[in-house]
Amino acid sequence: MNSAIQTNIIRIIFVFLAQVLIFKQITFSLGGLAYIHFLIYPIAILLMPVKTSRPVLLVLAFIFGIALDMFYDSPGIHAAALVFTAYIRNIIIIFLEPFDGYNIDDVPTLKRMGTGWFVSYISVALLIHTFVYFSIEAFSFVFFFEIFLNTIFSFIVTFIFVLVLQFIFRTKY
Amino acid sequence: MYNVVQLFAKYGAHIMFVVLEIICFYLIINYNLVQKEIFLNSSNVYAAKIAQQQSKISQFSNLRNQNDSLMHENATLIENLITIEYSSDNIPEADSFYNQYSLIPASICNSTIHLRNNHFTLCKGSREGIKKDMGVISSHQGIIGIVRNVSENFSHVMSLLNSQTKISCSIKSRKGHGSLVWKTMDPLRMTLESIPKHEKIAVGDTVITSGYSTMFPRGILVGKIEKYVSIPGSNNYDITVKLFNDLTNIKYAYVIQNRLDTEQTKLEKEVVDE
Repeated sequence: MNSAIQTNIIRIIFVFLAQVLIFKQITFSLGGLAYIHFLIYPIAILLMPVKTSRPVLLVLAFIFGIALDMFYDSPGIHAAALVFTAYIRNIIIIFLEPFDGYNIDDVPTLKRMGTGWFVSYISVALLIHTFVYFSIEAFSFVFFFEIFLNTIFSFIVTFIFVLVLQFIFRTKY
Repeated sequence: MYNVVQLFAKYGAHIMFVVLEIICFYLIINYNLVQKEIFLNSSNVYAAKIAQQQSKISQFSNLRNQNDSLMHENATLIENLITIEYSSDNIPEADSFYNQYSLIPASICNSTIHLRNNHFTLCKGSREGIKKDMGVISSHQGIIGIVRNVSENFSHVMSLLNSQTKISCSIKSRKGHGSLVWKTMDPLRMTLESIPKHEKIAVGDTVITSGYSTMFPRGILVGKIEKYVSIPGSNNYDITVKLFNDLTNIKYAYVIQNRLDTEQTKLEKEVVDE
């Protein structure tokens, strides 16, 4: 159990640094219609053990989001989206529960839960997160078309990248 | 107390979620300029869209009247052209009107007529070249007002029917000039002040702009003298003018652009400063 905590702390730090130092710099423009943002940071929260209690997830998401916002100069936007994702995460996990239930030390990674489970879990969670993030950023559903485009394109790119990362770093926890 | 603790044990995560989200949105609204503005104005976005649709519909249903008034206006313009061609003396400074002044057509988005101080909103703004203190006319026959405020796409016009209106006017083919003010609440009648008593005037004379300000060129038709009273003990007539145009029923306007505007005001200001 101890090494699970260690792995998660290291992962959170690495994801944070990667997001701030590398992925923040990368934005593509699709002919002025939509912008592609790499929003890989939700995996820091999404990959925590299945049985992590909700308050812990929420507080971690809040702190992580605020720290990220300091670098993005957008107080509260990432935090609000990430807290929402942390809240919705357990609901998704319950929906995807296998026949024989979860083990006490299950981790929602590709290696442990299998490709099918992981793909459906991470795609739903990331899609919701991206949509919520762009909605809060635009802050009004008048811009629904822009929100929609941004969400779709950013989601595809981020999703592919997260899968690749999972194939590279096959962590135990 | 026990109940409260139990409540927190049961719904703590949900309460925490709500509290954290509230904190986040508090931060968003207070420290992000764009989101703050949208939060304050989001209702305006919808309201503006609805108003735009409404004005589109009312414009469509008014097409017949609009066409009629456009045809009248064209007719007046053609008449003027003929007049200029055959007897250029009848309209003073006719050449200067066409060189110095140019017109920007605009449609009227919003107007008030029943207040003491009335205003118009034009659907064009600084992007089309409209500036503060330009004159606005509805056709060759009729002033609408003066531009008071301009944004990128809209301009705010002080209507002629406003207690602050004071426009320099004179009477066609007679001497002297006075100022046109709105004293009654009648949207068709205005008062012409400070025409001295020794000038001869008659009922039915045409009132035109004098051209002494930078806003309106000389010779724009304003109205006809309906009646006049010479007040005892005063030097001036009290003249009631019936306007040619009906300000309650206009949809289109022309903003007068004066090319020599800045030059004139600058020169006049220098004299005053001395």
